[in-house]
Amino acid sequence: MSEAAVICVDIGSTWTKGAIFRRDEDRFSLVKRASVTTTTDHLPDAFYAVLEQLSTSHGEDGRAPLYFSSSAKGGLRVAVVGLVPEMSLHIARLAAFSAGARVVASFPYRLGRASIAEIESSQPDILLLCGGTDGGNERYVTENAQVIAASNFGGTIVYAGNNLATDAVADALANRKLVVCENLMPEYGKLNTEPVRNAIRTVFLDSIVTGKGLSEIVARFGVSPVPTPLAVFNLVQAMGEHLEDWQNFALIDLGGATTDFYSFSEAWFPESDAIIKGIIEPKVKRTVEGDLGMRISAESTFISGGDYLRTALGDEGVLSLQDYVHRLLQNPAHLPTDPKEIEFDRQLAGACIHHAMLRHAGTVEEVFTTKGPVLVQAGKDLRRIDKIVGTGGYLAACARNQQSVSIGDQMPEAAEKVPLVPQSFSYFADRDYLLPFIGCLAKDFPKQAALTAVDCLVQSGDQVQIPSPTLCKGGHFL
Amino acid sequence: MRPKNIVLGVIGFDCHSVGNKILESFFTEAGFKVHNLGVMVSQEEFINAAIETNSKAIMVSSLYGHGEIDCAGLRERCIEKGLDDILLYVGGNLVVGKTPFAEVEEKFLKMGYDRVFGPDCSLEHVAELLHQDLLSREEKED
Repeated sequence: MSEAAVICVDIGSTWTKGAIFRRDEDRFSLVKRASVTTTTDHLPDAFYAVLEQLSTSHGEDGRAPLYFSSSAKGGLRVAVVGLVPEMSLHIARLAAFSAGARVVASFPYRLGRASIAEIESSQPDILLLCGGTDGGNERYVTENAQVIAASNFGGTIVYAGNNLATDAVADALANRKLVVCENLMPEYGKLNTEPVRNAIRTVFLDSIVTGKGLSEIVARFGVSPVPTPLAVFNLVQAMGEHLEDWQNFALIDLGGATTDFYSFSEAWFPESDAIIKGIIEPKVKRTVEGDLGMRISAESTFISGGDYLRTALGDEGVLSLQDYVHRLLQNPAHLPTDPKEIEFDRQLAGACIHHAMLRHAGTVEEVFTTKGPVLVQAGKDLRRIDKIVGTGGYLAACARNQQSVSIGDQMPEAAEKVPLVPQSFSYFADRDYLLPFIGCLAKDFPKQAALTAVDCLVQSGDQVQIPSPTLCKGGHFL
Repeated sequence: MRPKNIVLGVIGFDCHSVGNKILESFFTEAGFKVHNLGVMVSQEEFINAAIETNSKAIMVSSLYGHGEIDCAGLRERCIEKGLDDILLYVGGNLVVGKTPFAEVEEKFLKMGYDRVFGPDCSLEHVAELLHQDLLSREEKED
């Protein structure tokens, strides 16, 4: 293989997949791909098998550079302990998501016995401890550090809280693996998430990689993995920063267990005439919904998406969907066999996307003041998003089989708080499911990766319009 | 040295922002670390900010005449959230009409506010009282 090739491998919990790309002047193009079943007891086996299938000489002899990502063995599991739910805890969750983590537990205020038990049983790789502005509250983080010190939690603690409490926290956690970084909310309401993201990445490379059995690959090829969602996050960022037409877009990664929603767009537009409450969320944002997914999470999707599914399928339809969901639990690898099952999958996917989008988006409400009506926004405004990308096994297959996808076309007609969801957008599918690979390249080759990603996308269907819910108070809506 | 954190904001659906900016710079000059929440601040937001910033005082402004409704219950809510000893200052055009200030003051003191100020109070005086009140709280804690 010539110098102008790169190999990307993604180790997932079920499949280990690889691809060779040829590196042209300004972009990459796919040469060959391969996949094998992930060997959970020894991840490198599947990794080598994929390289073999790609039948190429690789990084070992210094020719084609190798990049790899992993979400195997539960991915990067983070528990978050913050102070006020809407403030430091919320920022900590956003920071963890943007580092490619799954947030397995999160707690505000003081950790009690039940919370500690939950942290211990959810077995996070990292516990992110924060709270207090710099010079602000010290009591909660200090006391929580003491409680954590007395627990059985064995992973690494990343402390990103009040700088004045650092010594007390470090003293309490003297016998633990502790990484201290800058406060993620140094001033009230101000985000500072880069240092936490870096700290999480370092911990991932230093200790988690070993724990997940990836160090053999690192030692042999001299390259480090990224958590798969971080690869996708980096790609979303690269696309927004390097492509003129992709200034406001979202990406949905719909999986069997989770639904990840990424957005690239300013969180708040001063000219929207709305006053913002709470924090101004980051331009690149990722959220993960652990209860929304097509297979392992089918039952929780059925519960969370109850109203959506009832509207879509009617009462009888929901009953037969329930049977289908029960069958999926028995056999998560099941693929739909008839038009009815295809429709069930379509509606499950619709419910996942609908709720993931609503939870990712902020809201606006109209309040009356002595100066007339005023719009008050909380969370991120996604209304300018004009493109949505769908990736993940199911959405890729839909594109290949030319099946229609249901994306958020069901919204409440009127609400006190109107969700700030996209209003009119084109839908693009990652038909060949290449984005995780391209994501691996986004850090080193941002512009090329961004261009390559767009090459892989297939626009499908007409422009999607989400009927904008009107404010029930009858006011104006910008 | 630990900063003297205080939370500042205009309560309720009140959008008067000019005075709020003046208060922010005045109290900053007077040696406080001001966490200014701006206009249209709910009781919950005041309390959340006080917790994260470890503020020992919440400075509530109200200028549009609905102060009584907006301010009622803040003390109880602070206690619910564990802010037992926090100082609550309130000032502005607290009620509509020409109620004598002494009556207004009494009403807000009963609601649990520590100090009540009319629209024409001297800011130097407020800052001085705030320093004193914070000092006596600290002594009480020690």
